[in-house]
Amino acid sequence: MGGISLNYLVRRLLVFFLTLWVAATLIFIIPRLAPGDPISAMIARLSYQAGFVENSDQIIEGWKERFGLNDPIYVQYFRFMGGILQGDLGYSLARFPSTVTELVGRALPWTIGLVGIATFIFFTVGNLCGALLVWTKSPKLIKVLIPMSMIFTSIPPLLAGLLLVYVFGFLLELFPQTYAYSYKFARPEFTIDFIANVIHHGFLPAMAIVLVTFGYWALGMRGMMVTIEGEDYMILAQAKGLKPFYVLYRYMIRNAILPQMTALAVSIGTLVSGSVLVEVIFNYNGMGTLIFTAIREQDFGLIQGTSFILITTSALAVLIIDLSYPLIDPRISLEGR
Amino acid sequence: MAEDRKVKDAPVAGGTKKAGALNRFDNPWLNWKFLTGAGILGFMFFLIFLGYQLWDTNLALSARAPLNLPPVGFTNWRGQEGIPEHPLGTENSGRDMLAMLIVGTPRTVFVGVIAATVGMLVGILLGFMAGFLGGLFDDVIRLATDITITIPSLLVLIVIQSVLGRVDLVTMALLISLFTWATPTRYIRAQVLSMRESGYVQMAHLSGVPVRDIMFKEIMPNLLPYLAASYIGNMTGAIISAVGLEVLGFGPQRIPSLGVAIFFSIEAGALFRNMWWWWGLPTVILAIVFVSLLLINLGLDEIANPRLRKAA
Amino acid sequence: MEKQKENGSDRIVLKVDNLRIHYATPQGDVIAVSGVSFNLYEGETLGLVGESGCGKSTTAYGILQLVQPPGYIVHGSIEVDGTEVLNLTEEELRKFRWTGLSLIPQGAMNSLNPTMRVKDQIIDVIESHEGKQRDKEAMRERIFELFQNVGLPNRIYNMYPHELSGGMKQRVCIAMGVALHPTVVIADEATSALDVVVQRIVAQTLIKVKDEIGVSLIVIGHDMGLLAQIVDRIAVMYAGKMVEIAPVENVYANPLHPYTQLLIDSIPSIKERKPLKITEGITHDPRNPPSGCIFRLRCPFAWDHCAEVEPPPLQVEEKHEVACHLFDEQFEERRADAFATIANP
Repeated sequence: MGGISLNYLVRRLLVFFLTLWVAATLIFIIPRLAPGDPISAMIARLSYQAGFVENSDQIIEGWKERFGLNDPIYVQYFRFMGGILQGDLGYSLARFPSTVTELVGRALPWTIGLVGIATFIFFTVGNLCGALLVWTKSPKLIKVLIPMSMIFTSIPPLLAGLLLVYVFGFLLELFPQTYAYSYKFARPEFTIDFIANVIHHGFLPAMAIVLVTFGYWALGMRGMMVTIEGEDYMILAQAKGLKPFYVLYRYMIRNAILPQMTALAVSIGTLVSGSVLVEVIFNYNGMGTLIFTAIREQDFGLIQGTSFILITTSALAVLIIDLSYPLIDPRISLEGR
Repeated sequence: MAEDRKVKDAPVAGGTKKAGALNRFDNPWLNWKFLTGAGILGFMFFLIFLGYQLWDTNLALSARAPLNLPPVGFTNWRGQEGIPEHPLGTENSGRDMLAMLIVGTPRTVFVGVIAATVGMLVGILLGFMAGFLGGLFDDVIRLATDITITIPSLLVLIVIQSVLGRVDLVTMALLISLFTWATPTRYIRAQVLSMRESGYVQMAHLSGVPVRDIMFKEIMPNLLPYLAASYIGNMTGAIISAVGLEVLGFGPQRIPSLGVAIFFSIEAGALFRNMWWWWGLPTVILAIVFVSLLLINLGLDEIANPRLRKAA
Repeated sequence: MEKQKENGSDRIVLKVDNLRIHYATPQGDVIAVSGVSFNLYEGETLGLVGESGCGKSTTAYGILQLVQPPGYIVHGSIEVDGTEVLNLTEEELRKFRWTGLSLIPQGAMNSLNPTMRVKDQIIDVIESHEGKQRDKEAMRERIFELFQNVGLPNRIYNMYPHELSGGMKQRVCIAMGVALHPTVVIADEATSALDVVVQRIVAQTLIKVKDEIGVSLIVIGHDMGLLAQIVDRIAVMYAGKMVEIAPVENVYANPLHPYTQLLIDSIPSIKERKPLKITEGITHDPRNPPSGCIFRLRCPFAWDHCAEVEPPPLQVEEKHEVACHLFDEQFEERRADAFATIANP
């Protein structure tokens, strides 16, 4: 197995770090592009909601001082970037004593777990379905059933989540409607009971993502399989009298899965966006719900921090997929791209 | 002996295969997926047009109707029955659901059209330039697309919108198009690069056809079905982003679009008050829009790529 | 020729009878192979030649049962060592493949699975026919022996196809093709995609391996010069028909069929410069072949009889058949006239 070529590695790392830098800079700049400054804007919105905020000028000054908004902008920028490098994302404005890092630390594992498991399921199921659609030996019934099950493809997970929570959560009461585990558990613990509870709670949100996503992968896989069917090595595989199932996984799927991996890296952004909304529907205690709460509480610091961490996580996921790609494609180690 | 050797029967073996082969040479635009998708979408817009003529769209504003009425033939949790004046029911600030669907559907699709169009135009421009100019420009474009695709667009949009507050639909569409250019750019760049190497473009180049003519007369026509598919895909993505932002509460609220309706219903706990019509009707309409866009997209894919037709 | 004597066995290992293959199109079937019959003898090397589109590759793929849709076998019989290939069930066919008939594909550029090591692609064919091999060491020795037969270094054992040169890939395909000592090996333009020097070496390797293992070989190609050096008999195809099949020295020294004459004439020679005679390819619509003789539209000697009756293969010598009316005894005079024209153009 060839190693990862330097060019490929450097390029992937460059994209990763540039993504983080662009995201951090955007998050820093955007509030400062708005008319006024973020603190005044926030106080203005608060007073709009609360009717009147006493001593608002003093409060604004106090906050500005605390957040260093009176410093020159480049000082603010370097302080902001320095903070990010040290994992310091500042304070939550609405839940002041809590830092953003703390809140995110509690929410992120749930999101990674949910999205990770959902991704594993839809990627496996989707590619398998796509492969079976093309394979000449698969039963007729499968070739009818798979396209039928793909009817939901391209509907956003958010809407699927709504339908699922209504039917299976509300009407049939088969699954819990909100949260990642029951209130009877004070905190996460490592017991069978708790894990079963988490799976029970996570089933609908995960299904909301899987149901509308696997069809996309099945379609992509189908296209790849059709291309591969026409390759010379498929004719030779047939001539060799290999067993059909062996040809399916060792010759067809093995080669068709490579572009699918690339596509997975490309789709991570969309996937994370979608799961944020699914969490909102299920009030799942991950990053999506955290950001939704922050939006409602006008907690700009928390919105910034949560977004940045989610973007970082996505970029990291993309990097991991990209770096594992050479391990499954023996050709990539020779080509620079 | 001679008879025994005719082991394969011609008509049977030939008949079925011939039928399969025939389909591949038919007019590619007579693709059932494409036609079904376009048909559903067309019919939906015809109904909306009728709705604008026949129904009072002002009912989509708040306080124009009794609150929380179910659709005709159903009962709400208070035991009220649906009335013909509001056949699809009403929600808790007195908006008529039918009017809301008539007004909201085109608004939702509109956001998608704008964001996808802007994204596509930028994508064509950057994609062709990157593919043809190459060099540093190409490197920068590639990096920019890679980064834009990696970043979950919804999160940046949330940051922007939480600063700007609620915005009108055009602004929202333009904000979304900050992200819709990347996929078409990457795609067109790759296609241009591969077509540039192809024999017929090289021939044109050698015979002194100007680059501009090569781009628009040789490459563009071949790209059209791909571009169309990519456009539809982009539109789907843009609508998904818009609905997402609206559900998070960033949509324009006086005249609601479908996502805003869903936001209201979630805020009011419609799910647990069994007011299914409130969130369910916009959801179903959106689902129909998405499924027909997907069908159009798949159809265009098959039109562009004859190999897929074989498998279908 | 000594080669002729060595390989002069009369046992028929492959008997193709009246094989007909069509490609379905909306405008009607294209007739790719139209009733081809021939025998392949034990230990023999048969060259299958003809211009592009004449159906030589389709014939080979028909014999291998590998005709890809929209192509299909209309009728015919293919017997390998007495086994009727077309009557085999799917599983029987799978087991028969590579042990009865194996293929050395064209070019070998994309014929190897890009994500499998060379050794695994040879092991998989051995294991799917002989079952799981427990003795890894013996398996490795067996593959090294195959490599040695085709002149490959042992170091490629663990390599991927993209790490090999074109010639090496072609040798891997040859090694793979003979791995199970099949009855008949079909080499489909096995040397076409290689440069001239490598072509010769690969062709020699092919013959060497064939002689060592003692298989019968069908070589498809259009390089008449190369084929002349490696085959025992040559079968000439034109527009889906086999027009002549003859021992190689007969074909070059004394081609009988007018098309074979044209083909031999077209071989460039350093000794004398002559204008190329083949000016056009197959001229008729392959969906509606002309009546009678398939070649009559381009044949300089055609007369009205050729349009009326399709010429049957006529045995003119041992292992030499030609499908042309000129060699029918009743038209002896015409033949004399025709050959007079050739002698004094």
